[in-house]
Amino acid sequence: MTGTVLVVGGGPAGLRAAVDLADFGARVLLVEKRDQLGGAPVRWKYRSLAPDFTPTEEVMGPLIGFCESSPMVEVHKGSVVEGCEGSVGDFTVKVRNEADGTTTEHRVSSVIVATGFEHFDASVDPRYAYGRAPNVIGINELEAMLKEGRVVGHDGRPPKRVAFIFCVGSRDRSTNPWCCTVCCGVSIKQAIEMKQTLGDVQVYMIYMDIRTVGLWEKLYWDSMEKYGINYIRGRVGEVYYTGEKLLVKGEDTLVRGPFEVLFDMVVLAVGIEPGPGTKQAAGVLGLKLNEYGFIAPRQPNVHVDSGRDGIFLAGTCIAPMSIEETLSEGSAAAMQAAKVLKKTVAV
Amino acid sequence: MAAEERKKEEKGRFIAERRYVDDQRIVEPEKLEAGGVDMSGRWGTLVLPRTIEEFDHSLFEGVKRLPRGGKVGKCWQCGNCTAVCPVAHANPMFNPRYLIHIVRMGYQAEIEKVKDYVYLCSGCGLCSAACPKDVDPQGVMIALSIAFKSGRAKGGR
Amino acid sequence: MPEVIRVSKKEDLEISKEDLKFLEGLGADRRAKLAMGTTEDYLRMLEKMKDLEKRGEITIHHVTDEYEPAGVRTLSRRVKKIPTVELWQHKSCGQCGHIPGYISALYWVMTELGIPYVDDTNQTSCTAWNYYGSGTSNPVALSAVFLRNMHAAWEKNAYPLIHCGTSYGDYKECRYLVVMSREIRDRVRSILKKIGRDLVIPEEVVHYSEWLHVMRWKIAERRKLDVSKVSVAVHAACHTYKLMAEDFTYDDTVLGGKKPAPTSSTALALGAKLLDYSNWYDCCGFGFRHILTEREISRSFAYFRKIRPIVRETGADVLLTHDTGCVTTLDKSQVVPLAHGYKETVPVMSDSQFAALAMGAHPFIVCQLQWHLADWKPLLAKMGVDWASAEGEYKAYLERVRNGERPAFIRSPPRNLENRVRGESA
Ligand SMILES: Cc1cc2nc3c(=O)[nH]c(=O)nc-3n(C[C@H](O)[C@H](O)[C@H](O)COP(=O)(O)OP(=O)(O)OC[C@H]3O[C@@H](n4cnc5c(N)ncnc54)[C@H](O)[C@@H]3O)c2cc1C
Ligand code: SF4
Ligand code: SF4
Repeated sequence: MTGTVLVVGGGPAGLRAAVDLADFGARVLLVEKRDQLGGAPVRWKYRSLAPDFTPTEEVMGPLIGFCESSPMVEVHKGSVVEGCEGSVGDFTVKVRNEADGTTTEHRVSSVIVATGFEHFDASVDPRYAYGRAPNVIGINELEAMLKEGRVVGHDGRPPKRVAFIFCVGSRDRSTNPWCCTVCCGVSIKQAIEMKQTLGDVQVYMIYMDIRTVGLWEKLYWDSMEKYGINYIRGRVGEVYYTGEKLLVKGEDTLVRGPFEVLFDMVVLAVGIEPGPGTKQAAGVLGLKLNEYGFIAPRQPNVHVDSGRDGIFLAGTCIAPMSIEETLSEGSAAAMQAAKVLKKTVAV
Repeated sequence: MAAEERKKEEKGRFIAERRYVDDQRIVEPEKLEAGGVDMSGRWGTLVLPRTIEEFDHSLFEGVKRLPRGGKVGKCWQCGNCTAVCPVAHANPMFNPRYLIHIVRMGYQAEIEKVKDYVYLCSGCGLCSAACPKDVDPQGVMIALSIAFKSGRAKGGR
Repeated sequence: MPEVIRVSKKEDLEISKEDLKFLEGLGADRRAKLAMGTTEDYLRMLEKMKDLEKRGEITIHHVTDEYEPAGVRTLSRRVKKIPTVELWQHKSCGQCGHIPGYISALYWVMTELGIPYVDDTNQTSCTAWNYYGSGTSNPVALSAVFLRNMHAAWEKNAYPLIHCGTSYGDYKECRYLVVMSREIRDRVRSILKKIGRDLVIPEEVVHYSEWLHVMRWKIAERRKLDVSKVSVAVHAACHTYKLMAEDFTYDDTVLGGKKPAPTSSTALALGAKLLDYSNWYDCCGFGFRHILTEREISRSFAYFRKIRPIVRETGADVLLTHDTGCVTTLDKSQVVPLAHGYKETVPVMSDSQFAALAMGAHPFIVCQLQWHLADWKPLLAKMGVDWASAEGEYKAYLERVRNGERPAFIRSPPRNLENRVRGESA
């Protein structure tokens, strides 16, 4: 079978789609904006993946390795799709390499959009002193520290007391009203890893609700029962840098008690939001965005269907979700592309 | 005892909105003087803030080592225990969920306020049957009463 | 059937007929219109003020060039005109009563800089504390007192400079009410008529700390003492920057433009080291009614939520602020805790006192630090003031006052403007 499928975005969703299509016998044109495949887990150097602490390489390595080496996958890194003409079964797309400015033209049978997400930029919300005070970091930045096995403050010393603040840039009218779905679980995973790495550290999770959905609940139980991680229900009004430590002001709503306690490090569970890449791809491909800026499927319960024939969706460009879901979405989108190939290409 | 109780009631009685200030927060000096001025009683009264400034888990760790206290770390504050507790339905100062949390976090002022009520536990065990996390709150109440009695309430070992 | 009533431009409230009746009974609909809400509302009020002037309903006391105004940025980003000369000193009851050095230092600074001003004996209390403290008084009475004082200033052809944070905040609110509500305007006018006055509304309501702010570089030029080793913490007064918040002065070069500029800017211009602390936005403990009705909590709050964290976090040599209640509460509230054996303490004074000290004013004759309770001796020593011999001078001065001498510095340099003749107003 011949015929090519364009995959936009080389994160977990895009890679999974590319691998499945290549295995199926289709050619894949994989366009990735950055100079590296792997999406968020690779870019931010995730140490391991929730819920089972699987090393990130174990999940991402085979996908990346396959795409980098398979003759069926033509990878364009540092590139974006610039134009798209035609209709299902016969699109003509322009791919521009951002480094040298060269543009190539390709004919593809269908398109899979998997442009993913960006982390909420916590400096937008001044409460948390992110970007102003040292030792206030995002969960994305903590992953790399954990991976290195070196969790330290700006003075090079390991923290003795750490607060995780949940729902930063999520579930908040002044920033993003939606739930990022994975950050509770990811934060708890990291808290456990922090305990494993540092041993002598007190960890406090300051939360509104704990949303460890499905089987991720085990993370929550273990963090309390096996690792003695503390949970404080409430929100944080202000993080203030005293010149030495971080004074976290909040309320423990279980006792109606305002607290002001010093911490060595504050980790912000920054949410998932649609990035400029998703907007760019949606613009070029003529896709609708919803009120939040995610790509809106034709029908909210059917993620793969973009509303345009021959263009399919997968992963966090549609809504926040975990890697396990993202990978399935990649496969699901690949299946749609395969159906188009079956109809249009002589088998 | 009765006289002592009355005295406690009278403490800070002149504070306008006395009802929302816990006894534990009022420092009313019997004898206070500065620069030759008598500031005893009302004139020298201070009301300590209720801000929580420290989390101290030493008492909690002690409770974990007492008989039947070992599973207290599993508590996730759902309130199943208090919901079924017959004593809690009668007395707002007795609340097994709340007791576990303030001990866990070491909220000293709150502990001082309610610790004497832990002995109201009737030992019926309804809470331990209801607890979804197998904390055995009935046992924890026993462990807490021992911890409070043995002076561990002050946070020592 | 729920009805929809309009609360403000952006917000509709769905409400049942019965509830609507109930709210109307409370005058809620009227209050909703008067709500001192958004920055937009505030800007609209300023526009309406101009309209009323055009229609001849009110006279505006403009900040004309004769007052040599300087522009500042307010929280609303609007540029506010701060008059710098020919000022009508609107005094503060609490300052004159508890912290007299606050105002004498301000007069001294003005005299040093050659600023003509009027120290009018014909000024009344703003009565706002009465209102905030005990809920007595009402919008009409408050507005009438406000405009009575503004008219007295206008008569003297001098621009009102308000010393007290509470008066300042109250006047900004009253101005809003008078401009936005015809009913209040009419009732206030009839009261003023009875005492031979009329509606004269100041174009800008100006706090003395804003004046110090715009004059800070001139003040710094006259600095006599080196304060570069002095570390300063600042408490901004709620009544200056939380009542009609959009009207107070901010400056992008001071505290990142995120916190009110006055006082901090004056300390910085003088070369002192400005220190930040965690409870910056907290009240001094004075509260609105709290110091009257809950003094134990007021003093405890002042000590445990302001003084102690400030000392622990900054170790500042002095705490500066710009309102009557704040200086009093923060200073006097240290006495009881210190008697209890608490150790943290810091001297408290106004920015005007600090500026005057740095300009070489006498610590007791002018700045009257003898009235302040928290120990200021280490600060004076650090500033290079020999307080022991100054005390001797002060005693000799007191003797002279007993023999009839009057303070020379509480006298304005010659004025350039003349009093307005009564009846000249529209
Ligand atoms: C801190 C953190 C930790 C997490 N940890 C876990 C975990 O442990 N377990 C788990 O299940 N989930 C985890 N997640 C969720 C997980 O990161 C996402 O589910 C997953 O990365 C989504 O994959 P994706 O392919 O949809 O998007 P992405 O990973 O964002 O990949 C999208 C790719 O598309 C590229 N791209 C974007 N726009 C364009 C464009 N216009 N043209 C070309 N390319 C473009 C991007 O550069 C990127 O490489 C975590 C999330 C966060 C925030
Ligand atoms: S055992 Fe004690 S705490 Fe538990 S339900 Fe019975 S009385 Fe309440
Ligand atoms: S029922 Fe169990 S888990 Fe729930 S609050 Fe009580 S002790 Fe804790």
